[in-house]
Amino acid sequence: MSTNTRIILICSGKGGVGKTTLTANLGIALARQGVQTAVLDADFGLRNLDLLLGLENRIIYTAQEVLEESCRLEQALVKHKQEPNLALLPAGNPRMLEWLKPDDMQRIVAMLTKEFEYVLIDCPAGVEDGFKNAVSAAKEAIVVTNPEVSAVRDADRVIGLLNTNQVKPIQLVLNRVRPKMMASQEMLSVEDVTDILALPLLGLVLEDEQVIVSTNRGEPLTLSGSDSPAARCYSNIAKRIQGEDIPLIDPSKEGTGITDKLRRLMQTKIF
Amino acid sequence: MSKSDQDIPTIKLNETHKDNLIYTLYEKLGSISSNRVNLNLHNLFLSCKIIREIIRTINKADINLNIVSSNIRETLVSLSALGYPTHLYLSNNQFSEIKSEKSGIIPNESDGSMVYFHQGTLRSGEDLEDDKDILLLGDINPGAKIKSAGNILIWGRLRGIAHAGSKGNKKSKIVALELRPLQLRIGSEIARGPEEKPQPGLAEEALIKSGKIIIQPANIRPFL
Ligand SMILES: Nc1ncnc2c1ncn2[C@@H]1O[C@H](COP(=O)(O)OP(=O)(O)OP(=O)(O)O)[C@@H](O)[C@H]1O
Ligand SMILES: [Mg+2]
Repeated sequence: MSTNTRIILICSGKGGVGKTTLTANLGIALARQGVQTAVLDADFGLRNLDLLLGLENRIIYTAQEVLEESCRLEQALVKHKQEPNLALLPAGNPRMLEWLKPDDMQRIVAMLTKEFEYVLIDCPAGVEDGFKNAVSAAKEAIVVTNPEVSAVRDADRVIGLLNTNQVKPIQLVLNRVRPKMMASQEMLSVEDVTDILALPLLGLVLEDEQVIVSTNRGEPLTLSGSDSPAARCYSNIAKRIQGEDIPLIDPSKEGTGITDKLRRLMQTKIF
Repeated sequence: MSKSDQDIPTIKLNETHKDNLIYTLYEKLGSISSNRVNLNLHNLFLSCKIIREIIRTINKADINLNIVSSNIRETLVSLSALGYPTHLYLSNNQFSEIKSEKSGIIPNESDGSMVYFHQGTLRSGEDLEDDKDILLLGDINPGAKIKSAGNILIWGRLRGIAHAGSKGNKKSKIVALELRPLQLRIGSEIARGPEEKPQPGLAEEALIKSGKIIIQPANIRPFL
């Protein structure tokens, strides 16, 4: 497997745009498609990938012990109960930030490539050391951004850095799309964003309250097989990564159909 | 040049063919049996319009254009703009391929000056600075900066910050296919970019007139 392993960095520059949420949902969705997937939390300062995946209470060892050789990789990997094809390598304690070097990151990822077909790296925000370490181990990247000027500006900066580090391909995910606001031009349009970033669009993710609900439960939307708007978007992205040709959603046609309205009504009742 | 490129026949055209370019090309195409051809345009200074005509003539003969070389930067820029792979053909018979993210220094054959050439978009946080004139094939995104002691020529969209004549030359110009910078500087003059959307397909230039930076339709005949 090792040379074919896809090592994908999920990054954004700006914080809070949805990297960890995408990593968790994509990890689950890929595992559901039957591929051996590892998610690596490279956000040592503010780790929370374990939380989103509902795996926090099952962590025994972390990447730190693996690097210090006080445990084996298999001992540190936390397998997901419902989706055993997915494993998390948790981040060590925040003090790792002080000594971790690109070499360390490359060593961890090299170990993971022996066991997995996909390694998704949840990158910290910013472009400092944490980002540089994560980039050094990645082959390709997904840049996550929101339809906001500042998020796009930071994404652009990150793309420049990915280019100089020979990371490719680089694909774009536009998260928190609100069709109504786009239609009324209160929000940057999909074209506004791709016009500046000039990257292939891997997918759009709609703004969806269910994302927040699922985050709090530690159950990514793609796990429950939910039919909520964002869940569909995440599954489509996972399929596209695997090479399936799934058309992009058209924000101007989202959420106006009677079935969408019905679905929303039902969801508000259930939750 | 790779081996396979060398197996493809090359048609050479130069200044002496200038007045009946298309006819000469047509005649030369008659002796080509391959379905691909390279084109060496030497020192011909060609506009996009004539280049389109050249390409049409070649395609009419059921031949595809492979790589074009020339030692005139304007001709290469026009070709790149039309999406054709180009080679910069230097006087010492060396080919250097102009490909993405490449930069270097090329001579401006029309006046012998040197030009700093860069291909690739400047993204937020990136900057490019040189004492020579700068020719950039790509965009300058918001948050990116370009600075030259001479002129700045952008075959793309300027949406970041550009500073021409940075050592005080007030005659310097900034030319772009779409001139919508956050800020422009020429010499020590500073101006904010215009708010309204540009007319599509109309290149513009910024220069100092009566002590102030103005923007006007560009005089870039060699390009178009
Ligand atoms: N499509 C969406 N719809 C609604 N809320 C969302 C969506 N995507 C993300 N969020 C919310 O945005 C917040 C930030 O998401 P997340 O933690 O994934 O971002 P991040 O980029 O990893 O942040 P950081 O830079 O801090 O690591 C979370 O509260 C999450 O629930
Ligand atoms: Mg995060």
